[in-house]
Amino acid sequence: MTHQSLGEFEQLVLLAVVHLQGEAYGVPIVEEIERRTGRSVARAAVYVTLRRLEEKGFVTSWMGDPTPERGGKGRRYVRIEAEGARALREARHVADSMWHGLDPASLRVR
Amino acid sequence: MSPAPAPPALLRALLRRVVPLDERNAVDGDMYELYAARHADEGPGAAARWYRRETLSLALRFAVDRVGRVLRSLANGGATPSGLDIKLGARLLAKSPGLALVGGLAMAVAVALGAGGYAAVNSYFYPELPLAEGDRVVALGKFDQRREFEDEQLLHDFLVWKRELRAVVDVGAFRTIQRNLATSAGPGEPITLAEMSAAGFRVARVRPLAGRTLVDDDERPGAPLAMVIGYDVWHSRFLGDPQIVGRELRVGRDVYTVVGVMPQGFAFPVNHQYWVPFRLDAGTAVAPGMGPKLDVFARLAPGATKQSAQAELGALGRRLAAEGPAALAQLESRVVPYVDIMMNGEADGTSQAMALARFVLGLLLVVVALNVAVLVYARTVTRTGEIAVRTALGARRARIVTQLFAEALVLSVLSAAAGLGLAAVGLEMLDRYLENASGGRPPFWMDPGLSAGTVLYALGLAVLSAVIIGAFPALRATGRQLRASMGSLGSGARARLGGTWTALIVAQVAVAVAVLPAALRQGGGLLRGATVEPGFAPAEYVATQFGVGQDMYASMGMRTDSARADSVRAIAAALLARLETEPAVRGVTVTNSEPWSGGQAMVESDDAGREPQLVRVLQIDSGYFPLFDVPVVAGRNFVPADAALDWDARPVIVNRSFVDEVLGGRDPVGRRVRNRGYGADVNPWHVVVGVVDDFPTEAEGLGPTIRPRMFRPAAAGEGGSGGLLTVRLRGQSPEAFAPTLRRIAASVDPTLQLSAPQSLYALYREDAQGALQVALVIALVAGSVLLLSAAGIHAMMSFTVNQRRREIGIRAALGAPARRILGGVLARAARQLAIGVGVGLAAAGAPDAAAGGELLGGTGVLLVPGTAAFMLVVGLLAAAGPARRGLRVQPTEALRAE
Repeated sequence: MTHQSLGEFEQLVLLAVVHLQGEAYGVPIVEEIERRTGRSVARAAVYVTLRRLEEKGFVTSWMGDPTPERGGKGRRYVRIEAEGARALREARHVADSMWHGLDPASLRVR
Repeated sequence: MSPAPAPPALLRALLRRVVPLDERNAVDGDMYELYAARHADEGPGAAARWYRRETLSLALRFAVDRVGRVLRSLANGGATPSGLDIKLGARLLAKSPGLALVGGLAMAVAVALGAGGYAAVNSYFYPELPLAEGDRVVALGKFDQRREFEDEQLLHDFLVWKRELRAVVDVGAFRTIQRNLATSAGPGEPITLAEMSAAGFRVARVRPLAGRTLVDDDERPGAPLAMVIGYDVWHSRFLGDPQIVGRELRVGRDVYTVVGVMPQGFAFPVNHQYWVPFRLDAGTAVAPGMGPKLDVFARLAPGATKQSAQAELGALGRRLAAEGPAALAQLESRVVPYVDIMMNGEADGTSQAMALARFVLGLLLVVVALNVAVLVYARTVTRTGEIAVRTALGARRARIVTQLFAEALVLSVLSAAAGLGLAAVGLEMLDRYLENASGGRPPFWMDPGLSAGTVLYALGLAVLSAVIIGAFPALRATGRQLRASMGSLGSGARARLGGTWTALIVAQVAVAVAVLPAALRQGGGLLRGATVEPGFAPAEYVATQFGVGQDMYASMGMRTDSARADSVRAIAAALLARLETEPAVRGVTVTNSEPWSGGQAMVESDDAGREPQLVRVLQIDSGYFPLFDVPVVAGRNFVPADAALDWDARPVIVNRSFVDEVLGGRDPVGRRVRNRGYGADVNPWHVVVGVVDDFPTEAEGLGPTIRPRMFRPAAAGEGGSGGLLTVRLRGQSPEAFAPTLRRIAASVDPTLQLSAPQSLYALYREDAQGALQVALVIALVAGSVLLLSAAGIHAMMSFTVNQRRREIGIRAALGAPARRILGGVLARAARQLAIGVGVGLAAAGAPDAAAGGELLGGTGVLLVPGTAAFMLVVGLLAAAGPARRGLRVQPTEALRAE
């Protein structure tokens, strides 16, 4: 089976899931990405991406207990799977090998 | 702890609706949580605004995601419709002939209008010149700023343009003339010729079929008179004579030698079949703004653009304007696409209007397709069981959607084919109608037949409607509902026709109630107009348009044509006098147009209290009323002396409707009336000397019906423009008299030209044909609206009854009276009908008011409630069949089926 690669936004979402360590669901994932990148993120994009990551087998999700603060609805928690972790490592490796041996001065463009 | 504040209920419901089922609770919960936090931090208003914004964003993002998924699965799944899908589709259509017939007919009408409209719009408003590099052929002209006025007396400018312009080559001119072509049989028939520069053949880049084209040398004064003829007339008039080149033809007073034959389809510059050289005598001095009317054409020089040609022409034009008459100085010389020579007015405005027309025609199909989609959905929903089984056996969603799409494609392609057939017939009718209305063949670049582009467009429409009627219901049926019915395989009993369905039925009924009255009124009016008798004996009148050939040099030195007018009047008078002596002739009259048409003008009376009214104005001679047996009911008829008076001093005669509507029923004889002036323009008063009965019967057409008529006295041939000659016969048919009429005309003056003499009644019927065709289109559209509404209601009722079989069976078994069960089943249909009719009634007045009351013409009081009642009956009838089926449900059977 060929390995599936990660898009940039997929990487961000997956890394946020890892950072949140078992407390990852829609609301904190968005906040984590915004806090760390300083970018504003479309909530809908996160949901759609999570769906896709789950279809690819990179994450799994389960519903938590309903709570009154959430109008009687539960949280959908997300956890990274081995295949997701491998994809993240590979993405980093690819980026590192491209950066390797690069003189930072060469990025200075007048 | 008090519970967290909840988001506004409506917005929350909306949010839940736009989020896919498996994400719904999680997203709803997240948003609830975030809303509560914002509510605490920023207050309820800001929180609600935020919630609304986020909901919209979620809706859009999930919708895009959904479409992307479907496309991806179609692309990856190898899910292209197979032959089997198509076969299945055809079989399913045969199994539900009602759906096929109603849906197919409605879509065929919509495709016909869409594709026919597309073809007509393209051919009449965005034509392409079917010549080699036709887009580089241009017309040169002089227009005012808005292109509303064009000066066509271009001879002086043409000669300068031809000599000096460099950005265009092969500058040529043409004008259309009428001459009599002598035949061996007798006095000759009028033909239309293009007097055209030889450059025209170079611009067109078409080789002759035989012989040669005209060349520059043919334009030399004193050169032998050469003529080129077209393929059509070579075959029709000269029977394809192989010896045609070199043959001599007598045309008017001259004898021309045929030097060549052009191939089939060639009709440059407009719709011509005979070409003679455009020639000027040596040293002809032409003053600016003088001479005959011309059109000037050219081809852009290699490397030149329309802009560079315009720059050069503009500069030259300003120089010429300074030399010419002051009245024409503000005109601008312009390079325009050649196909624009037949167009008046601002081209940009036209194209915008046409783009809108195209959009509306396209929209019509979308609306119809949506309606058919509703019908198809009702059927697809009953197949949820089958779809669930197939899914359980491993069929992927894309595969099922593809199959349902293929089934829809069969229906839509068949409808498109039928629609194209309808459009072809319609375009043919339109073409004939325009040919009759304009009195000649349309320009050669206007071919309103079905081009490859139109067929492609119709196919595009077919695929679009297949997507709407196949893919949409399929996506819905294989989505949420499928998951629900997986649990109860088989009956599809859990499927639902929800709010969208109700809304569509309500909208359909509302549109029908709002639109049908206007359609009925207009269609009915047109139908009456097409069938009403004009009020004169059909077999007694023969009519022909007459004119007198204009010589190139007759008007060379003058801007007005008064000398020419005198000569035309003398010829016309001689013709009338000669006809009066003919034993078969009871009487003769000359008018400026047919009795039932005529110009329109706003006319006011000397009673300051009355508003000006729109009236029809016809110029007649003193023989007109006696010829048609129209009694003068007050005052007197015209006498020849009336037409001899100065134009401003001439009296008028009016009809009874004029007396009622313009003069308010007061004693008309001696009163004064005039055309309403615009701005400072004050028109002279004319005295009313007589009143006649209304004649001919005023047929209703599109727009307001104008009953008041005003008649002005004019001498035959006045103005130099000829007119309509009508002859009343005694004991001879119009057809039999036609050759005699021609012979007499030729004997009076060889330059006198008559159009083919025709029975006046036949002319009237031909004019009425257009109205009949429009009525037919209205009937087709109104019929499909009605059918679709009825079919929608029928489908809904069938569905409801099927769904409630079990309940009906049990109630019947428990002894509930039939009437109550029927009432319960009909209630839903009745509710939807009532809402639809209510909305329709509320909306019915709006289009009429927008059109200034012309759509309904005051008949709304009767027609609108009538249509509403009719729709109620149709709806209930459509519902009654399924309801009766419901009553026949046997309790045991209904329970066994579960």
